[in-house]
Amino acid sequence: MRLLISGALVAAVLALQTVLAQPPAAAPATPATPATPAATHYVLDPAKSSLDYTFVQAGAANKGRFTRFQVAYDFAPESPAASRLDVTVDINSLDTGDQERDDTLRGADLFAVAKFPQAHFAASQIDRTASGYEAVGKLTIRGVTRDARVPFSFRTATENGAAVGYMSGKTSLRRLDYGVGQGDWKATDQVGNDVIVSFALRLTAR
Amino acid sequence: MAIRNTTQRWGAIAQLLHWLIVALVITQFTLAMLFDDLPPSAHKLALLARHKSVGITILMLAALRLAWRWANPTPPLPDTLKPWERSAARFNHVLLYVLLFAVPVAGWTMSSARGFPVSWFGLFTLPDLVPKNKALYELLVTTHGILAWTLGVVAIIHMLAALKHHFVLKDDVLRRMLPLTSNKTQGSGR
Repeated sequence: MRLLISGALVAAVLALQTVLAQPPAAAPATPATPATPAATHYVLDPAKSSLDYTFVQAGAANKGRFTRFQVAYDFAPESPAASRLDVTVDINSLDTGDQERDDTLRGADLFAVAKFPQAHFAASQIDRTASGYEAVGKLTIRGVTRDARVPFSFRTATENGAAVGYMSGKTSLRRLDYGVGQGDWKATDQVGNDVIVSFALRLTAR
Repeated sequence: MAIRNTTQRWGAIAQLLHWLIVALVITQFTLAMLFDDLPPSAHKLALLARHKSVGITILMLAALRLAWRWANPTPPLPDTLKPWERSAARFNHVLLYVLLFAVPVAGWTMSSARGFPVSWFGLFTLPDLVPKNKALYELLVTTHGILAWTLGVVAIIHMLAALKHHFVLKDDVLRRMLPLTSNKTQGSGR
């Protein structure tokens, strides 16, 4: 009995220490739930944000963008490891500036939007790097989930009394890793495998 | 065979450029007919990309050819031609040269207006000639087609005329553009 009480006491002290030592670690793992007070919760300012991509078509670089996407970012400046980033992209909003190409991209052999309307990036860990940060998480496109690391830079500012954040970065991914390209679209001689995704986001603190 | 033209015969370079362009123009018509009715697919993209690369090649060869023509003597038309035939031949040749430039430039501009940069066999990307413009693109699709078919018709007239010279008039007009042959009469057309 005495052993049990002292054991419980030790456990309680340890738990208390853990909570005091690293409060952000107590944050729930799911991005939808509110962050701990130490983290600032940011949401997207869609009007001043862009999510673009560059791909090679027929030997030449072509550009496109997504016009609808959501971003939730919990940033704890003193503890990037406790920060989270969650991005959901409405694939149907893809825009390469060419109706025929956009419709083709939405089709079953490429993005298959009817079946996979969204792409999702969920990072539960933000590492600090020499040049900024790196979001470490899972990227899901066309129903295929893979580990992904997305480097980005982030700076905060106060505009008209409101706290805002600017996040930008660029990463490269291979479309075929996610099955974007079935049938003869698996060939990479006309449509390259590598796609460069770049983003410049304006976030507002909530 | 001489590299340069003489006053009797086309030289090796002029012949090579002539027949290379013939082969490439035939390739272009073949590719265009192959992809014309296809729905969007990687295969169609591949055919289109080849068509654009070959078109740019024709444009480059046409420029080379014109430069070579200026730097060389031109074997004259036979003396036997009537004045109207001389004019017709001249008009036909000028039109062929104009179209060898106009068709690829219209195609290139059309691709630019569509917003698709043109790559030459994936080796380099050509600059866009015009900004993206849907109305202009639609206009150029028609223009490119009309110019291409005009080139086809003018080329066939050119070919029929050459065959007439060879088989009916039995002169050297065709022979002097053929490798591995010689003129029947030295100094013909002088």
